Amino acid sequence: MYIPYPHWLNTGDNTWQIVSATLVGLMSLPGIAVLYGGLVQRKWAVNTMMMAFTGFGLVLIVWVLWAFNMSFGTPAHFGGSNAHSFFNNAIGHFKIATSPQAEQGQEILPEGTLIPFHYNQATFMYFQVVFAAITPLLFLGSVLGRMKFKAWLLFVPLWITCVYSVNAFLLWGGGFFAQKGAVDYSGGYVIHLAAGVTGFVAAWVIGPRLERDRKHGVPNNLLLVAVGAGILWLGWNGFNGGDPFYAGVDATSAVLNTNLCTAAAMMTWVFMDMFLAKEKKATFLGAINGMIVGLVAITPGAGWVNGYGAMLEGLIASAIVWTAWYYLVKVKPFSKVDDALGVVYTHGIAGLCGGLLVGFFGDPGMIEYIGKGSDAPGFAVQGLFYTGSWHQVWEQFLAAAWVIVFTAIASFILLQIVKLLVGLRESDEKLEQGDLGIHGEEVYPEETFAERVGSGSFEPANA
Amino acid sequence: MKLVVAVVKPFKLDDVKESLKTLGIHGMTVSEVQGFGRQRGHTEVYRGAEYEVEFVPKVRLEIVVDDAQVEEVTNAVVDSAGTGKIGDGKVWILPVDEVVRVRTGERGSDAL
Repeated sequence: MYIPYPHWLNTGDNTWQIVSATLVGLMSLPGIAVLYGGLVQRKWAVNTMMMAFTGFGLVLIVWVLWAFNMSFGTPAHFGGSNAHSFFNNAIGHFKIATSPQAEQGQEILPEGTLIPFHYNQATFMYFQVVFAAITPLLFLGSVLGRMKFKAWLLFVPLWITCVYSVNAFLLWGGGFFAQKGAVDYSGGYVIHLAAGVTGFVAAWVIGPRLERDRKHGVPNNLLLVAVGAGILWLGWNGFNGGDPFYAGVDATSAVLNTNLCTAAAMMTWVFMDMFLAKEKKATFLGAINGMIVGLVAITPGAGWVNGYGAMLEGLIASAIVWTAWYYLVKVKPFSKVDDALGVVYTHGIAGLCGGLLVGFFGDPGMIEYIGKGSDAPGFAVQGLFYTGSWHQVWEQFLAAAWVIVFTAIASFILLQIVKLLVGLRESDEKLEQGDLGIHGEEVYPEETFAERVGSGSFEPANA
Repeated sequence: MKLVVAVVKPFKLDDVKESLKTLGIHGMTVSEVQGFGRQRGHTEVYRGAEYEVEFVPKVRLEIVVDDAQVEEVTNAVVDSAGTGKIGDGKVWILPVDEVVRVRTGERGSDAL
């Protein structure tokens, strides 16, 4: 006799989890691929999309081979006898996760899980890998238009292994900062702040785009930018909606809050452009920037703030990032670094704002996990505005400080290693050619002027 | 025979084409070009960065005409393409050594 599911599996939870994961995956492919692909000048569109697709693929492979267990597995002990020391709670074991048990066994995190999950590990692994995979695609935005393609192929796996998995373990895998009470609902720190920092450091180390490219760097297709942006916004329903890991009331609250924050942030940027920018015109790309800031800012706290908090976070974060975008960019070191798509602002600063703001706006009434008995009423964030306590803000600040400093230094070191092995920049000759030089492809080939060489293996019967 | 080249504002193309048809001109070649004379370009803003576009989109017409018609063709173009504002364009006339109709091989005025 056969039964369809093990007793611990909840089909509703499993469904929502894998659907959320798919939504997040779509945010990368084709979301980021066409958003960035349409934003860059025509000569770099193919290279940009290639780096997005290959980055995604590389992370998937590295994830099951070792990075998943490093991020969420049993802690590896490096620091002596104190079980709670930093070095005993910084990273999981380097371990493969491809066996049938690894895919079909129940997902139970060794440390720091409030409730064992009601689905299998493949579900959880896939959900987590799409988050890991989008992170390099974010800092791609800083380095496009000059990073050596081979260097990208090497840097992404190294970065996931040495930087992402550490931050993920510390904040999500039950590691040091999680134990101290720092929170990051869906990765405002692990993903966005880290991507912003890495992008900035990489853009600095690799050097700027060609002067000619910067001078003529207009977008090549705003309609595709709109497609990518729309997928990003609605895909984020999975990004935040999947992070309680249960298809419960907090999941959908997080979805609603995400959309509220995004709308508020987008409109804030639009109004600031209309009334404060030099041309006094509302711009589409400004709206998209505001949208991204809202999506990023709500990420550290989507299920822990209420509707007011969500909208205010959007307004505040957008106002701050708008100001940074137009004014901080004129100040050193920002004025000296060619962060091509401004990732340090829309992801770095926005993620930092969101991560700190949850310490203020975290509403104890927004219960993520219902508590029974002594755990009643359940797990929520005790924000300053509701409890008068600065504790959460302080923990958020410490975690942010770690992410910024560690990510910057580790990324810098990894870049130097990659530089030694393959170099970091394409040659000037290749940079002048763009896509044609690196991939032998154009984004809009012209049939009139292109002739096929040879007839391939096909010879028509009546030729 | 002469080659009349005219660079005019894109939205005036229809008027120019119609006025040439009434003169019996049955063929022309048109391309989309960028240019500037005294007309200034404009500024575009992408993601807060300003881009100066010095060039202005124009349309270039090329018509081969008999010597006898050059004067009236030129006047027709100038009258129909003009708006009175800077950027209306220019017409210039070049001599043509030979014209051939590809389909029939006819030459000279028979090819017009």
